[in-house]
Amino acid sequence: MKKLLIAGALVLAATASLWAAVGCDLNDPDRDVKRIFPESTGYKTTYLSIKDGGGLQQLARVINRLGDKFSGPYENIDVPYTLYEIKKGAATLGYIHGVNQKGTYGGIQVFLALDPQGVIRGFYIQKLTSRAATQLRSKSFARQFIGLSLKDFDGYNVPFGRAEGPVAAIRNPAPEAVWDFRAVMRAVKKNLILMDEFVYHGAKP
Amino acid sequence: MMSLWGLAWRNLFRKKTRTTLTLLALALSAWVLASLLGFNRGYRKALDRDIDHMGFQVLLTAKGCPYEAATLMLKGGTGLRYLKEDMVATVHDRPEVADVTPMLMQAVFDPNKGESGGITAYLGVDPKTFPFLKGTLEFRQGGWFKAPAAREAVMGYEAAELEQREVGDKLLIPEINEEIKVVGILKRTGTQDDGTIFLPIQTVQELFKKQGQLTGLGIKVKKDADIDKLEEQLYNLPDVQVVSLSQVKSTIMNLVATARVIVMSVALIAVLIALVGVINTVLMSVFERYEEIGVLKSLGAMPLDVFRLVVYETFLLCSAGGALGVAFSFGFAQITDQIIRRVLPYAPTGSLVALDVAVIGVTFLVMVGAGLLGGLYPAFRAARIRPIEAIRSESL
Repeated sequence: MKKLLIAGALVLAATASLWAAVGCDLNDPDRDVKRIFPESTGYKTTYLSIKDGGGLQQLARVINRLGDKFSGPYENIDVPYTLYEIKKGAATLGYIHGVNQKGTYGGIQVFLALDPQGVIRGFYIQKLTSRAATQLRSKSFARQFIGLSLKDFDGYNVPFGRAEGPVAAIRNPAPEAVWDFRAVMRAVKKNLILMDEFVYHGAKP
Repeated sequence: MMSLWGLAWRNLFRKKTRTTLTLLALALSAWVLASLLGFNRGYRKALDRDIDHMGFQVLLTAKGCPYEAATLMLKGGTGLRYLKEDMVATVHDRPEVADVTPMLMQAVFDPNKGESGGITAYLGVDPKTFPFLKGTLEFRQGGWFKAPAAREAVMGYEAAELEQREVGDKLLIPEINEEIKVVGILKRTGTQDDGTIFLPIQTVQELFKKQGQLTGLGIKVKKDADIDKLEEQLYNLPDVQVVSLSQVKSTIMNLVATARVIVMSVALIAVLIALVGVINTVLMSVFERYEEIGVLKSLGAMPLDVFRLVVYETFLLCSAGGALGVAFSFGFAQITDQIIRRVLPYAPTGSLVALDVAVIGVTFLVMVGAGLLGGLYPAFRAARIRPIEAIRSESL
């Protein structure tokens, strides 16, 4: 009986945190997973947050690695992150993970599809309000991220938008929308850092 | 010497698995009952709250608007029907009317929302009357628009959260490519306002070239006025549709009443199953202690003592089951709420399951009462056991 009550309490605690703040979910996971990982046979959804993971210490570490402070009321320790673990039978093909990012005219939702080693195999902006939305959501822009990993983004300077190595080769398709481009780059780096914290635990390729 | 209560309590632990299973069955029944009773109360409360938060009791739209609303959702602002703005003065002059607030909803297709685009809606409201009628709205940041035709927006809590907007940030209206400055973010209300982007009505009219047109007119009726009479008069206006929120409420409550009969039947069945479970458990326990009860009686226990002992056991079992069920209903209220929301075709915002002292009290009393009723027969059988026969059956 005691065990049953403890299990009940745990379920309640998990669901309470799930409804606490706005996350970044795929609009249609069945369709989107199949589109990004055509060979997949299924996926598992997990809800994570810094608050329930490493807490304040992890938050400080993420901010430090990002090189930019978390800003505004929506980027905080409570934000729930949705992790899609993509399966082919029992094997893990990779992960899909999205983050919300403040843009010039609204929230930007940037999703990355990563292989089990943390290398980007897909890039997808689910939502973006910008005068340059078409360019930033184009396939040619997305292709520039394929094959990159956190190691490549480590040197990306978020506050100044300065890049080195392969990341420097990523071209802004809409120079007039430089702030939205930089917001997308920040979101990608943050996404990779969070994935490293939640999934890869420093095992960089 | 051990009291009857103590003995009854100890007896429950003799067959732990059986007691636990019966307890769980009782708890589940109590959970279902409390949740359904709470739903009866909560749904009405949530609906009342939603309607009160609208700030007006009657809504005037152009004829055919409910169908156009579907168009709005599916295709954006095209094809909407509109009221003429002079309707505001016509309605305001009625003696029953305290105030009116004009509204103009416009929706645009945003191709960069999701894989295949999505709709973003903007509600134009009158800065003079709307804040007054919506007196319950509070700001988390900023305030209402500074001018009647300002290029400014006030965002509901969830709309702002989704768009990551703060006061001073900009919004871009797709299709027409117009920039709007965010001047206020509302606190969470638990209503549809949370997802709304409000703009001054004049701004919406100018941006979407809908000067002199409205999609709705909210009417606040004077306290002692006859709403039915006013509605009759409004029906006579040309090309308008009157949506009485009290009628909406009554229609929804009638629909829900049908569902309520079904859910209460389910609750009744759950309680009956628990009752049968209690009879079975207590009767089994009496049969197993047939000889023991015979010995008790031969040592001087009166039939009433044995009867009370079994009734006490039943009471303890049902009380514990009822209490556990009530705890479940509190603990899982949020999950129950989500399940009900999925099942119902229309669910108001806010909590649908309202658990209060009355609901808890009724649940507990029903569980204990039904349980005791079920325990009467086994107690009666136990009280009638003859000591000689019982002891003889042991020797056999």
